[in-house]
This record gives sequence, C-alpha cells and structure tokens, in this order.
Amino acid sequence: MHTTRARDSEFTLLFQIIAYAVILVLSIMCLLPFLLILSGSFSSNESIVRDGYHLFPTDFSLEGYQMVFKFPTQVLKAYGVTVFTTVVGTALGLFLITMAGFVLQRKDFKYRNTFSFFIYFTTLFGGGLVPWYIMLANYFNLTDTYTVLIFPGLMTPFLIILMKNFIRSAVPDELVESAKMDGANDFRIYFSIVLKLAMPGIATVGLFLALGYWNDWFTSSLFINNPDMYQLQFYLYNTMNTITFIDQMAIGTGITLSQDVPTESTKMAMAIVVTGPILFLYPFVQRYFVKGLTIGAVKG
Amino acid sequence: MHMRNKIIRHLSQVLALMLFAGVLAACNNGSGRSAQGSEEGASSTDKGEKVTLQFYMLGDAPKDLPVIESEVNKLAEADLNVNVKFNYTSWTDWDQKYKLLLSSGQPMDLIFTADWTFYQSYAKKGAFLPLDELLPKAAPTLQSHVPEDMWNAVKINGKIYTVPSTWIEYVTEGIAYREDLREKYNLPKPESLETLEAYLEGIKANEPSMIPIADSNSNHTHGIRQLTSKLVNTAGQLPYGLDIMYDSPSTITSYWGSSQHLEDLKTYKRWMDKGFFPKNVLNVKDTSNSLLQNGKAAVVLSGENPNKFNADVIKVQSTHPDWKLGYFAYPNAKGFAQPVHPIHNGFAIPRSSKNPEKALAFYEKLVTDKRYNWLTEYGVEGKNFEVQDGYYKMVGDAQTNGFPREGMNGWAWRNPDFMLYDKTFDDVLAMFEELDKIKKPDIFTGFAEDWTPFQAEKAALEQVEKQYLYPLNVGLVADVEAGLNTFMEKAKQAGLEKIQAEYTKQWQEYLKSAGIQ
Repeated sequence: MHTTRARDSEFTLLFQIIAYAVILVLSIMCLLPFLLILSGSFSSNESIVRDGYHLFPTDFSLEGYQMVFKFPTQVLKAYGVTVFTTVVGTALGLFLITMAGFVLQRKDFKYRNTFSFFIYFTTLFGGGLVPWYIMLANYFNLTDTYTVLIFPGLMTPFLIILMKNFIRSAVPDELVESAKMDGANDFRIYFSIVLKLAMPGIATVGLFLALGYWNDWFTSSLFINNPDMYQLQFYLYNTMNTITFIDQMAIGTGITLSQDVPTESTKMAMAIVVTGPILFLYPFVQRYFVKGLTIGAVKG
Repeated sequence: MHMRNKIIRHLSQVLALMLFAGVLAACNNGSGRSAQGSEEGASSTDKGEKVTLQFYMLGDAPKDLPVIESEVNKLAEADLNVNVKFNYTSWTDWDQKYKLLLSSGQPMDLIFTADWTFYQSYAKKGAFLPLDELLPKAAPTLQSHVPEDMWNAVKINGKIYTVPSTWIEYVTEGIAYREDLREKYNLPKPESLETLEAYLEGIKANEPSMIPIADSNSNHTHGIRQLTSKLVNTAGQLPYGLDIMYDSPSTITSYWGSSQHLEDLKTYKRWMDKGFFPKNVLNVKDTSNSLLQNGKAAVVLSGENPNKFNADVIKVQSTHPDWKLGYFAYPNAKGFAQPVHPIHNGFAIPRSSKNPEKALAFYEKLVTDKRYNWLTEYGVEGKNFEVQDGYYKMVGDAQTNGFPREGMNGWAWRNPDFMLYDKTFDDVLAMFEELDKIKKPDIFTGFAEDWTPFQAEKAALEQVEKQYLYPLNVGLVADVEAGLNTFMEKAKQAGLEKIQAEYTKQWQEYLKSAGIQ
C-alpha cells in the first residue's frame, strides 16, 4: 500500500516534469518567430540586410515604425475595414451560430437530422474555388462590397457543431422543459436561458470568429478591387507581394512600377502593428476558452 | 398551443431571413455596382444606350485613379456615350485572379494581356473574342494605327485576339555594376564569366562589408545563362531545363543534367564559398535593385533591362552623387538582341463582354486620341505633370503626386506618336538605338505552350525545383555532383522526361507552322 502510493507520486512527478518540458519547448517554438519579428521591427534595415535577423536587435532603430506611420491613411483605412468586419462579422456570426446550435440540439425539432446532414455534408464535399467565386461574384454580385468580407465567414460547420454540442451539455433538456411549463416560449428560452448558460461556448466560438475575420486576407484578395476597402492583412500582404513581384516577374516583362518599396524593418513593424490588437483580446476570453473547448468530453 | 408554436417558428424564420437580407442590403448600398446588371444589350456603334465598361488591369491602382476615371468618363460619355470603370487586380495572386476573372464568366469588357499572362493559351482556349470582324466596324483608326505585321504576329490559329502595343522596346537584360568601385580598385569590366568573377573577387577583397551579388533567390542563373549562351529566349532560361539555341532552333537538348549545367553549378558553389552571396540568399526578400541602390551590393545579374537600369541610375544620382553605375548588355555577349514581341503588351475583349463594339471603340480612343492617352498615361496636365521642352515632368514628387508617369500601368496603350519621356529616359532610348543595330526577330514569344497534357507533372516539377535546384543554384549543397544527381532523379520521378518530350513536340510544330528553320 505504502509503496504504491510512493510510486504514484513518483509517476506524478515524472509526468509533471515531462509535461512542463513539452509545454516549455512548444511555447518557445511559438514565441521565437514572434520575437524575431519584434526584434526585426526595432532593428535598422541595414543590420537586417547584412546580418539577417537576430533575437535581440543589434542596431536599435525605430525607422520601421516611422515609415509605417509616415503615411498612415492607407494603414488606418485598412484598420478600419478590419475592425468593422471583425466586429460585425463576429456579432452576426455568433447570433446565427447560437441560433443554429440551439435549434439543432432541440430534440423536438423534427428535421434536425436532415438539416444537420446538409451542414456536415459541406465539410466533406466542397465545390472548390471556382464555383465559390462564381457564386459570390456573379450571382450575389458582391464584388467590392463589405458584405463579401463578412458573409462567407459567418457560419462554419465546425463552429456550429461545437456550439450545438456545447448547448446540449450546458443546457439540460429538463431545464428547457420546465421553462416551457412556466410559460416561456422558444425565444424566451433562447435569450434568457441558452445564451446565459452558453457563455463559455459563445466566448470560444466568438474568439474563433474574431480571429478568422481579423486574419482574413483571401476574400479581399479575390473580391475587392477598391484599395480603400482592403482588409489590414491583405494590405500588408499585398505590399510584400508587390516587392516580390517587382523582383521576380519584372524580369523580362519590362514593366515599370512606380511604387515605394518598404524595407525589411518596415515590413516587420507593419506585422507588429497588425497583430497587436488581437493579442489583447486573448486574455479576456482565455478564461472561457478551456472550458468551452473541452465541453462534451465529460458526461455529467 | 401547437399551432401557435408553428406560427412562431415560421415567424422566426422569416425574421432571421429579413435580418440577414437587411444587413446584405445595407452593405451593398453605395458600392455603385448595383447599376451594372441593368445595362445590358445596346451594341450599335453610333452611341446608342449608355453602358458602363468594365476595364481590368493588373497591379495596384494609383492614388488619383478616381479623378482620372471621372475625367476619362466625361470625354467618353460625350464621344461614345459610355462610362468606364477601371478595376485593378493587385499583385497578390494576380495570376489566380486573372484565371478566375476569365473562367467565371463575370462581365468584363477589356482586359490586359501579355505573353507572361499566358495570352496565347487563353486565346487558344477561347477566353477572348476574335477581333478580326469587329476591328473594321468598331475601330478602323485603331486598325490602321497598328502595322499589318504586328496584327499578323499576334494571331492565334489565324485569328486576332489582342490589340498589341505599337511602341517597340527592349527588355533584354544586362549586368549592372558599380563602375566607381571598379575604377577605384582597378578591376576588369565584368563582360564575361571570367572578368565577372575577377570583378566580384575584387569587390569582396576591398569592400568586406558588401555582398557582391545582389540577386535574391536564384535569379542570377538567368543572367549567367544569357552571358554564356545564345539561347532563343530573351528572358534568360527556357522552361523545364531545356536548351534551344537561336541559330539552330530545331535542335533541342536538356540543359539540366548536362556537363554545362554541372559546370555552372560548380561556379555558383565556388561563388558561395568566396562569399559572393549572402548566407540567407534563399530568403532575401529585398529587391536586387534596392540592394544596389543602397550600396549593399555591387552587381545585379538578372532582371536589369535598360528601363530598370535607368531607374537605378536616377535613384543613385539623387542619393549618392559620387557613385557611378556601369552596364553591360547581355545582347552584346550574345551578338544579337530581340525586341519585345507584339504579344508582350496588349488588350483583349473577354468572351463575357456584353458590349464588345463599344469596348473596342473606347480602346481606340485610349490609344489614338491624345486627350485620353495623356490622361491615362500621365494624369491631368498641370496637376500631375507638365511638359517641359518636350519632356515629361512630374509635379511634386512620388510621395505627393497621386498619379506618377504610367501610374495606371498603361503599358499596353502607349502610343509612340504621343509618348512623353522623362529627360533621364534619353539614355534608355540611346541604348535602344544601340540594340537596334544588332536586332534579330523574336522567334520564341510567338510560341504558345499548352501544358494541359502535363499539368500534374509541371506542378510536381516546380516543387522539386524549389527543393533541390535552388539550393544548388546558390551553392548551398556541399557535394554539387551528388546534389545535381539527386535533383535529376527527383525531377525524372516528377515527370521531367514526359514534359520535355511534349514541349519539344509542341515547339517543333510551332517552328513548322511559323516557317522557321
């Protein structure tokens, strides 16, 4: 008896050592690239070009940030678009996803299996890029609208499934039943009970949605022709691509481009400016995060 | 109770839909695209119903584009009763967007074409409207403006699909180098592989803080090939590692895996060992030109056509007046120069166009009417540019001017009769004159490669190239011979032989049809 307990604690200790070591290594692996960018943004361009990137700036300089904010209108516009799409998209998406999740987990919804099938089916078989593009551009006529930046990302099957399972485990059927007996209708149940109890799930899904919108560049790339409507990520990505383009494609094409090309440190500074705000969102939702994701694992 | 629930359920559905539609509508308003759908039909040349033409260009729009657009529209509305909307793809994934635009059937009236946007293959696939019958009806002036031999040169399967630019230019490349350093340390002019290496050695020895070669990735290989061979392709390498010499175009061999290839790779390895490349050369994202302009590097080996070299000279003159740049044009090593093919810059009418005649009539104005041409090439006179002694002069500088010269990327509608050059461009024109003396026709660009038979292999090969060839090109592989063998083995697995055989077949068919021996 005594020995098993000792061995138990030995194993616990061993487990903890391994666990901490693994987490430590993983965290460092995640942090290092970010540190490199951070240090790059504070280095002078010359030192980057000559010696490459360092973990700590060898030649401290703020010229990157100066460049970014020298002509801030474009960056600010792109910021505005991204903030707008993120806020509206997340709010709207949360509303739709919680609604869908709520409806799909209700046992008294007759067609829930049919609807679920339609939703899950799209995760297995997608139409591909071209039909998707044709749908949005030709049928919905969404080119150069803010709608196109929000609409395609509103609902994803994965998040609906997540939300459905969450609501199922957070809101017992008995609760819904008793509320009904007390005279609450479905909307009342949705607003007063489901939304309140599903808070951790909403925070999780909300964060996923917000990250999705914040990091989105592809939709801008395909559907937006008006530079004032570029999302922040695309603005950044496009600036970098123009540089690559000048280098790679301009060979033998003889085309002349009359744009200013930002330097290495400027690009890094831009990356920091772009990622900054979303980093601050993390601590606020983080406490819900663990609970939200693991729900459904324990039946209780 | 049950009934009521049902009604509420219905109601809630409707409500959700309405909410959704409301949001959609709110976002759609003010985007100015909604009017487009109603403007169909109307294809008579004499004015007719007013239409909005959708005009697609590559790259990024200049800041002042809205101003230019409204000015152009004032003219176009009076002349042709059309409006034009200028759209830009941006350089990010432009090739994918280009493909989507053409394959989605989205209404478009005019789109940029070039050999490097695969004009030939899109034309073959039927993405563009043939212009042969439209031209005399809708744009007779344009038809006579473009010389007959140019119209013939852009024909695909006997039909014209693009309006070529009539301005002749050379995009042949050359070596740009720091002439002042060469004089200072008494180095040879880099005009052959040997003198180039000696020059680079001298730079490395005397200027230890410099990285002699500015090329990022492995672009220098394009340059070296032009310096040491008489390839049929002006722009350096041929695809899939093939070798086709200008003097004997029907003889095709594989450069990859040849003893010449091994020799070249050994040279690059030696260069790396001597420190001519930066250690992280595969990740350098700065342009070669900016490295040269900042004094970080002494030599640019690829992509340096007369135009770009001129831009470097101007930049260096303003920032480092004590520096001097030298230029050695590869055509001088090859013994001949090829001007750009008419396919190189042009405009086509996509099949999805609803107003092909109006589109062509508008394009005619753009090219042959000085008012349109100057507006779209140089901006508003007095606001964006001035004419001084017959030269173009920008108002303000690149930061304050919202429409620099050719700011709309209007390379395709340059008209030699109206063109304004910057004073500094005289040097480029002088270079063109020199190249004119050793001019030979471009026999390569008229060829349209059709890669559908080996599409999968092509994609696989590109991966193999990146993984195994690029490190060899910059001397990052210790054992060059073994490295080349590995690359060849992997390339063969990817289907190199099939690609080369099919390409060879297509090339020989082209030679036969074009009557080239």
